[in-house]
Amino acid sequence: MFLASAGDPLFVDGINFAVALAVIIKVVLAFAFLLVSVLMMIWFERKIISDMQNRVGPDRAGPWGILQSLADGTKLFFKEDLLPDRADKRIFRLAPYLSAVPAFLSFAIVPIGGTITFGHYTTELQVADPPIGILFLLAMSAVAVYGVMLAGWSSGSKYPLLGSVRASAQMVSYEAALGLAVAAVVLYTGDLSTRAIVTGQEGLLRHILPSWNVFRLGFVPFFVFLIASTAELNRPPFDLVEAEQELVGGFHTEYSSIRFALFFLAEFMNTITMSAIVVTLFLGGPDGPGFHFLRWLWPILWFLGKTLVLLFVQVWLRGTLPRLRYDQLMDLGWKVLIPGSLVWLLILGGMLISFKWGLIVLGISVLFGAALIRARSLGAQRVGEVGS
Amino acid sequence: MTQYLPILALFIVAALFAGLSFMASGLLAPYRPTDAKSAPYECGIVPDREPAERFPVRFYLVAMLFIIFDIEIIFLYPWAVIFKETASPVFLLVEMLTFAATVFVAFIYLISHGALDWGPLKRLRPMAPISPARTSESTVRRIRPAARDEAA
Amino acid sequence: MMAALFPLLSVLHPVLAVPTIDRLVFAVCAVIVLSGALGVVLSSNPVYAALSLVLTLFGVAVLFVEEDAQFLAAVQVVVYAGAIVVLFLFVIMLLGVDRQESMRSERLPAQRPLALLLGLAALGELLALSRLTHWSTGPRGASGAPATGGGGNTAALARSIFTTYLLPFELTSLLLIIAVLAAVVLARRPGQHPIEPPALVETDDSNLPMPGPDPDEEIDGVRNVDAESIGFGGGRGPQ
Repeated sequence: MFLASAGDPLFVDGINFAVALAVIIKVVLAFAFLLVSVLMMIWFERKIISDMQNRVGPDRAGPWGILQSLADGTKLFFKEDLLPDRADKRIFRLAPYLSAVPAFLSFAIVPIGGTITFGHYTTELQVADPPIGILFLLAMSAVAVYGVMLAGWSSGSKYPLLGSVRASAQMVSYEAALGLAVAAVVLYTGDLSTRAIVTGQEGLLRHILPSWNVFRLGFVPFFVFLIASTAELNRPPFDLVEAEQELVGGFHTEYSSIRFALFFLAEFMNTITMSAIVVTLFLGGPDGPGFHFLRWLWPILWFLGKTLVLLFVQVWLRGTLPRLRYDQLMDLGWKVLIPGSLVWLLILGGMLISFKWGLIVLGISVLFGAALIRARSLGAQRVGEVGS
Repeated sequence: MTQYLPILALFIVAALFAGLSFMASGLLAPYRPTDAKSAPYECGIVPDREPAERFPVRFYLVAMLFIIFDIEIIFLYPWAVIFKETASPVFLLVEMLTFAATVFVAFIYLISHGALDWGPLKRLRPMAPISPARTSESTVRRIRPAARDEAA
Repeated sequence: MMAALFPLLSVLHPVLAVPTIDRLVFAVCAVIVLSGALGVVLSSNPVYAALSLVLTLFGVAVLFVEEDAQFLAAVQVVVYAGAIVVLFLFVIMLLGVDRQESMRSERLPAQRPLALLLGLAALGELLALSRLTHWSTGPRGASGAPATGGGGNTAALARSIFTTYLLPFELTSLLLIIAVLAAVVLARRPGQHPIEPPALVETDDSNLPMPGPDPDEEIDGVRNVDAESIGFGGGRGPQ
């Protein structure tokens, strides 16, 4: 069984005017969708958090305060753009771009629906379908580290510097866990393309459950990905980057006006993209039982519904969990999530061959797990020997 | 190659959006810098020291360890892609197990040297000595109404 | 002179045969790569040099995509830009060397001529390779993708790594172990021994101060906190 992804069928005949027009329409729609959903997401988050804390939340701008984020965003255009004099001016100006542009780009690989046909052209409902698919996401989150790191460094101020060093170490640590969780999905799909990952999840598992990766891979990669992506986004409970009590505003303390707005935009855009990626990788993407008279619209509704549930989960986490301490954060990433997901991946590989091989890999993993626990207790006594 | 055309287009749109917002903000926003505004923000306290120039070596170890895992992950992806189609999956699995075990040994070595322990040294705090003389009668002072009246 | 140029022209000949769009992409990337490389060499600020390196790596990644080596392009960004340059930046930050370096003083005097020599040698090697070897991905098929026997670039690469180049792959893991060992040795504090867990201290509890105010002290009903014990010092309250 091998799902070779041929990419978006839009480009089979090369590029002509109609194809270029289709590309432009898709890109503009995706761009507008992202911007509008960020505005909605900020409002949604504030409203839900207010409900959880027995407050009313924004209720002045528009019905139920729905235009609040638009008002806030517009206001930021009229605010003074400060450039601290200790800042490294060029990099200080560059950093918001490095944060915002990857945030836009990583949404490109998310399949939001099936295919759509117009004239004799067929196109997939996603901005782009490159063969390396999900690796593109990892590449973009690798670039996003630079935005945070350089923003803090170039500010020439204490709190941003501390925040950015913390943040980049955190993002880098959880990127490894993220990559390992995705590798499990690739193992079951046999392809890196997000479209192939989504089509590989159609159908039923043992005639009851949908054959989504969350069930097929035994939940562990799903939860690892969920935790690691929350940490990668620097969202609560992993928001040590901007822990207000310690670091004022974290890496973007010195930023104001539209430069600050771009960091904020990137953060929420990444939240939306990551939730969409979780849906794509583990929850079958636009797959779901449904009414076929709605044709191409129905999968999109499924996709939006699932993404909304995950966004609610993100808000819920923020409303309930207290922030982790830095050593707890690093311990969770390095000593639990990374070894756990690596071992789970290899066990899955064994199980794909036969049950016996799965057990053999499990046995080896238990040995290494015991060694790891021993190493942890040794390490706890020798802290300070290396580094500090 | 053409599959990346939409990404290029989105890149251009995103960069244009960011650039145009800066321009718009430059036109709309006031610009009246003062010494106080352009000083590093320290909650109102006048900054008198440069930000720290050096950071704990442990950050370097984290980045080093990340490179190692990143290389492992980047090998895992092609491995995962061909795992289902290959004629000899057992061979492939053993290969990757050997590789992962070797990397894991390095990881365990690092952990056992406490290189990833960030917290303060976890030590047992000596227990507060308990003496039989310390009861609620001897340690808690009760303010009797009489004493309060005398004080007043 | 012309005789010396002839091999160079015959090397360039396939370049001139490719479609315009590819030539355009190549030209743009070449400018990006070269300006990044010059930035690395010429900037006196190490952070700028590291960022220029990222620019070069991106240019090379796009060149890889252009050659349909898509997986390599991803590796280029994820590993090189995402991990290795991040390590460089960490080192720059944690050593605090983000000051301007003087370009004039030279600690290793032989460095520059040696670099020139090695660079020329690498260029010669590349030119020789482009003439002599056959490329594992094969020529481009009619559809534009290289003929790789199904499954695209990543699968073709995987088949070669895990069969033909198995030994180098496994040796990579040893290389990684060496890197970890070196990192620990470098980061170790000299002459530091593991810290013994502290023994429980035997205390004579008769000497311990009682919490709370001294029973003999006059109570004024207002101040019954021992100021000294919580660190305010003096112990003088309003009388």
